[in-house]
Amino acid sequence: MDLSVSVVARETSQGLGPVFGLNGLPRPMPPKTIKKPKKAVLFFEVEILDAKTREKLCFLDKVEPQATIAEIKNLFTKTHPQWYPARQSLRLDPKGKSLKDEDILQKLPVGTTATLYFRDLGAQISWVTVFLTEYAGPLFIYLLFYFRVPFIYGHKYDFTSSRHTVVHLACICHSFHYIKRLLETLFVHRFSHGTMPLRNIFKNCTYYWGFAAWMAYYINHPLYTPPTYGAQQVKLALAIFVICQLGNFSIHMALRDLRPAGSKTRKIPYPTKNPFTWLFLLVSCPNYTYEVGSWIGFAIMTQCVPVALFSLVGFTQMTIWAKGKHRSYLKEFRDYPPLRMPIIPFLL
Amino acid sequence: MAAAAATAATKGNGGGGARAGAGEASGSRKKKSPGPLATAYLVIYNVVMTAGWLVIAVGLVRAYLAKGSYHSLYYSIEKPLKFFQTGALLEILHCAIGIVPSSVVLTSFQVMSRVFLIWAVTHSVKEVQSEDSVLLFVIAWTITEIIRYSFYTFSLLNHLPYLIKWARYTLFIVLYPMGVSGELLTIYAALPFVRQSGLYSISLPNKYNFSFDYYAFLILIMISYIPIFPQLYFHMIHQRRKVLSHAEEHKKFE
Repeated sequence: MDLSVSVVARETSQGLGPVFGLNGLPRPMPPKTIKKPKKAVLFFEVEILDAKTREKLCFLDKVEPQATIAEIKNLFTKTHPQWYPARQSLRLDPKGKSLKDEDILQKLPVGTTATLYFRDLGAQISWVTVFLTEYAGPLFIYLLFYFRVPFIYGHKYDFTSSRHTVVHLACICHSFHYIKRLLETLFVHRFSHGTMPLRNIFKNCTYYWGFAAWMAYYINHPLYTPPTYGAQQVKLALAIFVICQLGNFSIHMALRDLRPAGSKTRKIPYPTKNPFTWLFLLVSCPNYTYEVGSWIGFAIMTQCVPVALFSLVGFTQMTIWAKGKHRSYLKEFRDYPPLRMPIIPFLL
Repeated sequence: MAAAAATAATKGNGGGGARAGAGEASGSRKKKSPGPLATAYLVIYNVVMTAGWLVIAVGLVRAYLAKGSYHSLYYSIEKPLKFFQTGALLEILHCAIGIVPSSVVLTSFQVMSRVFLIWAVTHSVKEVQSEDSVLLFVIAWTITEIIRYSFYTFSLLNHLPYLIKWARYTLFIVLYPMGVSGELLTIYAALPFVRQSGLYSISLPNKYNFSFDYYAFLILIMISYIPIFPQLYFHMIHQRRKVLSHAEEHKKFE
């Protein structure tokens, strides 16, 4: 800005006081940046370009240097309301990683005119919505098969009840598991991300609902065969299931307590007084370990191949997640305990 | 589908050059070429496969000339067909260990679908082996594979004749539908025999509380061709436009 002009103007001004000048008309206000306050406020300019076409989408001037990416996203939504903040991915490099909502503008490696690249993440849906939908399905679907609702099995079996105790037990366990998940979603979990892409809900629901129907079909089938080793097998399996459910819940509570409400902080999880959390000594993601254990228990209890397959697929997916989580822990924390494995103690 | 998938092939078996990869990333992917040992191995692999499918091609021609008819030629090339098509499983390994820049998932899908047709349908249901539909897909596969493996061989050696590139990206237009027809007709022909013999099926009650109906499974497979075939086919058409117009421009500057 041209400082010399305004200095001259101030020195020669007579007129009718500070507000009205020589000709009686209001003085033009000097530009904000020329005022010499004790602390100079240097505003940033932010231009947002489309990451693919490099088209200029938005220009924001007078952005506070302390502004966060979240605030910039809100400003961007004003000019492009169809792109609500959850859908926006802003990055410094068109092919680079997304900036976090908490990142502060002046801490980024940009000049006073920052260029950000925008990618549309597509329609988003909240994690809570996805979880509730994908868990409510299996709960309901399993019961359809348990009560032998018409058109599933032959008509002579409609609304009949199995004569095997294990079938009733399995229904209780399966229902308990999904009720637990629903309650945890509502009251326990603290999510780092608010949303995920919309198409995930179709993918996830197909997986959960599909497998639930497949398992439930066989367990509640009139020709179901109870486990080979009878009550012994069922009791052992039930014990495994209950222990792992308690373990899984304990880990969820421990993880929740690591993070204050409304925050997105990340800390290394450690064992607490609860013995179920002592598994943290050996694995990064004991919640997944216990989850696999629960399903193995359920598979032994029902002696049903589809349940075993579901456990296997789930185990594969959770191992991928656990390895990813383990890697981020290692990257983020220098003092991460070296004995820990991602999901299976000492092995995987 | 198996025919198409292999033609629509992933980058498969190394080498640079344009690739009609259903698994191909757009533009900016760095093309990491395999080391010299891996390249040598891949050249040998692709040469052997080219030779193998040539053996099958020659076998078909000789059998036709000897018999005087094109019926039941399957029996004369049964062994090399099984050997070389099953050998393609190695391509999954190549992707997994990274010497070939293709998607493991996609390569697995296409190789497994071929292997499925050879073993789980044609080999397992003996009654279909004399069907003409078998010849239809065997011919489609044979021509496709000879071109595909020689394409990879030349690409690895950085000397790809335009004719091979043209063939790979043009002949599929006929060979793909031909192969798909042969496959579908063969599966369809197998159905009554599967139903009758209960092949690969297990019913309740049993102690594993599991059932599987191979007949229903085969029908599901046939239905899956409906969404998959057009996607792969049009992807190849799109790739053809990209690759051949690009090559044309290059030729202008030679």
